Amino acid sequence: MEPDLASKLVNGLRSAGINFVTYLPETRLSQILPLMREDKFFQLAPVASEAEGVSIAAGASLGGKQVACYMEGTGVFVSTYNLLTVAERFGVPMLLLVSYVGSVADKRNSFLYVRRGTRMIPVWEALGIEYQILSDGENLETRIKDAARMMHALKLPVVLLFTGEFTS
Amino acid sequence: MNRRACLEALLPLVTDQLVVASVSGQWVWGQISRHEGNLLLGSMGNALGVGMGMALGLPHRQVIVIESDGSVLLSLFNLPTLGTLHPDNLKVFVFDNEAYSGSRISRPTATAAKTDIAAIARDSGIERAVTVRDLDAFNREMSSALKGPGLGFVVAKIEETFEHRNAERSDVDLMENKYRFVRYVERTEGKPIFLGRG
Repeated sequence: MEPDLASKLVNGLRSAGINFVTYLPETRLSQILPLMREDKFFQLAPVASEAEGVSIAAGASLGGKQVACYMEGTGVFVSTYNLLTVAERFGVPMLLLVSYVGSVADKRNSFLYVRRGTRMIPVWEALGIEYQILSDGENLETRIKDAARMMHALKLPVVLLFTGEFTS
Repeated sequence: MNRRACLEALLPLVTDQLVVASVSGQWVWGQISRHEGNLLLGSMGNALGVGMGMALGLPHRQVIVIESDGSVLLSLFNLPTLGTLHPDNLKVFVFDNEAYSGSRISRPTATAAKTDIAAIARDSGIERAVTVRDLDAFNREMSSALKGPGLGFVVAKIEETFEHRNAERSDVDLMENKYRFVRYVERTEGKPIFLGRG
């Protein structure tokens, strides 16, 4: 991801009010981490598993933080239990920032990732969680704000799946 | 020592704290405590994570987590994360009966063999993790954890009891519990929790 795009993404999160982010580092979007670390607006919580990333974010959300979970697409499969038993079952707003590895527009797609990518959308549909696929930086701030407004309206997780320009 | 005796000892010390309980603890705690700040999760493997997030998000507020051995073992990755993030306002009580003691079964957990949750916690950076084996020690360590500064982590070795198999199930839905909890946090913190109010 180009540095400008990483800045746009972080600025978009900031202007959407996201102030608490759990994360497990991955390759596609990792340029956002140093930017968020430098910005005191964001409280960051590094985790050892995407599963606890969801649970920790849920706890922070119920304490009044505006939360996001940043993870690789692979982590979605790790965290479905927590998404279902806490975030969805309790109705907890959180923005999921997911690098859509193995998707058609993933610039680093390979045999390593593609199976995960082809099964990604059915997982969100099975969980009943709204998702948006972002492949470029056009209107990025607006699209992040829209997703945040949706998560508050639904009181549920909403997913942004990043592919295309975000994966180069 | 059993879970009910420990939780009855904890009860008078809970005033305005936020309490997150995993499924095995919530049967007894839900019966004896009507605290609006109780969040009863109804699942295993989530209480420590949810409590950790709450403690990080509200660093001025004491958060208590009521956990069990099976639930901690299910999400063992919580311990290094807790040792790293180290929220000083979090107090964790793990009730370890060395068994998966569900509604119909009773099978040993790894703690019935060689696994020592407090030792794993200490080696994960939770320096003050302790194991207690009788009610006097539990009362002492619980009181010290709640009244003293810093991250508290007490593993209480308890007998396996079966009252939860016959306990009357609560009719408070998880969503209803969430709203009661959230309204309590809003009232006591003086801020809205959920946005998007039309």
